[in-house]
Amino acid sequence: MSVQARTGPVLSLAGLNKSYGALQATGDVALEVAAGEIHALIGPNGAGKTTLVRQIYGSEAPDSGSIRLRGEEIGHLSVPQRVRQGIGRSFQISNVLADFTVIENAVIAEAARTGDAFRFLRPAVSDPVLVEGAIKILSRVGIEGRADTPVSDLAHGERRLLELALALASDPALLLLDEPMAGAGPEETQHMIGIIDRLRGDVGILLIEHDMDAVFRLADRVTVLVEGAVIASGTPDEIAGDAAVRAAYLGSDDDAAA
Amino acid sequence: MGVFSILRDGLARNRLLGLILAGFALFPVLSGIMDEPFWNDLAMRIMLLGMAAMGLNLVLGYGGMVSFGHAAFVGIGAYCVGISQFYGFDNGWAHIAISLAACGLLGLVIGFLSLRTTGIYFIMITLAFAQMLYFLFVSLETYGGDDGMSIDRADFMPIDLWDPLRLYYLIWAGLVIVSLLLMVIVRSRFGVVLEAIRGNESRVEAMGLVPLHFKITGYVISAMICGLAGALFASWQEYVSPDIMHWSRSGELMIIIILGGIGTMAGPLIGAVAFLLLEEWLPELMHLVAPAYAENWMIIFGPVLIGVVLFARGGLVGLLARIGGRRS
Repeated sequence: MSVQARTGPVLSLAGLNKSYGALQATGDVALEVAAGEIHALIGPNGAGKTTLVRQIYGSEAPDSGSIRLRGEEIGHLSVPQRVRQGIGRSFQISNVLADFTVIENAVIAEAARTGDAFRFLRPAVSDPVLVEGAIKILSRVGIEGRADTPVSDLAHGERRLLELALALASDPALLLLDEPMAGAGPEETQHMIGIIDRLRGDVGILLIEHDMDAVFRLADRVTVLVEGAVIASGTPDEIAGDAAVRAAYLGSDDDAAA
Repeated sequence: MGVFSILRDGLARNRLLGLILAGFALFPVLSGIMDEPFWNDLAMRIMLLGMAAMGLNLVLGYGGMVSFGHAAFVGIGAYCVGISQFYGFDNGWAHIAISLAACGLLGLVIGFLSLRTTGIYFIMITLAFAQMLYFLFVSLETYGGDDGMSIDRADFMPIDLWDPLRLYYLIWAGLVIVSLLLMVIVRSRFGVVLEAIRGNESRVEAMGLVPLHFKITGYVISAMICGLAGALFASWQEYVSPDIMHWSRSGELMIIIILGGIGTMAGPLIGAVAFLLLEEWLPELMHLVAPAYAENWMIIFGPVLIGVVLFARGGLVGLLARIGGRRS
């Protein structure tokens, strides 16, 4: 990896466009996430935040534009290829392996991380090498104590943490978090904020979040998306004082607090 | 962990399957004492159908892929034996190798083309492929067409199959190998990922794995197991016709799995036992009770199947587990 790749932005988008018929979901978006920073992406419902994340992740193809991860174009890569290149993702609705226990989830993630999932002989779940790695994955978000619990018995917040652990399992350079606090109670939210805060510096995070309290506590930078286009980007203070943002989003009385 | 301890561990976790395999090993003693050689014949059919169902269960039960065309692989496995003999090629071991290779290759092609789809489309495509093969063999007059072709019991040097009991134990050994193979595979990394894909494909993708690769591999293994069952079936029946790959045979395999317990190790085999015993005994029973309706034994068979599906969730294996749980 060159020095520039290490010090340059972990993610850079340029001229990204995506339309569904007449609806422009992404309009000429340019955005950068610096290595290790927490970059919040906010905007009213329907602003195209998740659509943007899906294009970065690879589950949706942009009509035009470039997506660079650590300086390298990844726009042509499939989802698994992008994950192996260093993208981790949590989903709007918790996306974990519901039929398995917590440790089994992490064991599979560890097998995937080490690139040794195509093995047919040794039992996976009792493999000490995998289990050791799996415990490390879980301890990163502090749920190693729930290792043997079936996912179906987890509380909502714990499920969210497990998903975060799985997204982190591949040691990504960029983490896409789609509303990690959604549906969480006040205590769970505080806990999640603490954990995301501790990831600062380790991994670049693009955070979609409606909880403005969380956004302003966590974000190093904030980008505001309205009708698919970036209307402002800056520090939380700059964003809070931006007249256009106030008019279009923060000041409006629809769903700023939702 | 050595291979031996992996197998021992696998057997310890699948006592039920181990018990049934032991039961099949000892069964000829019982049929010998009772002087009912026909029972062995039925047991062989059960083992062969059970083996094919176990193969299908890897994709249907563990992988969540509803393949509605697996009888085609059983048929191709059997035809590989018949066609080999047609050209004067008699070695039984080579027949098995040819069947495995042909079904593996065919599984790869069909899997590659059909596994891009899911749900109802996948069911329809696998059914379509199976029907294509069925009609292909109906039209191949060289190999008997609709009437099928007769097969001599192959030459399994150094095992001479003149004694039906040797065929019995050849089939049994095949079943044991398939059972051990599957019980190891489903707990391996590959098997666990395959099961994860069944529940949540997008999470497996998010881990950086390509679900299609695992599904195709599972599909190929499953096709090869069905091919082995077909190759042995040819020696047992000494005859093969397109009927073996009729779509209703694929349905039968699915019914056996659901009856026994989908996604369980012992399920397909228990399902095959129950299915064939019902098929064997119900007509006789009907004959005693209502002779006029003996031909319509399916009238009873159908509701029994529906009853199991509705009331014994997890099939007969689930039922046994619940009875066992209540006792302890």
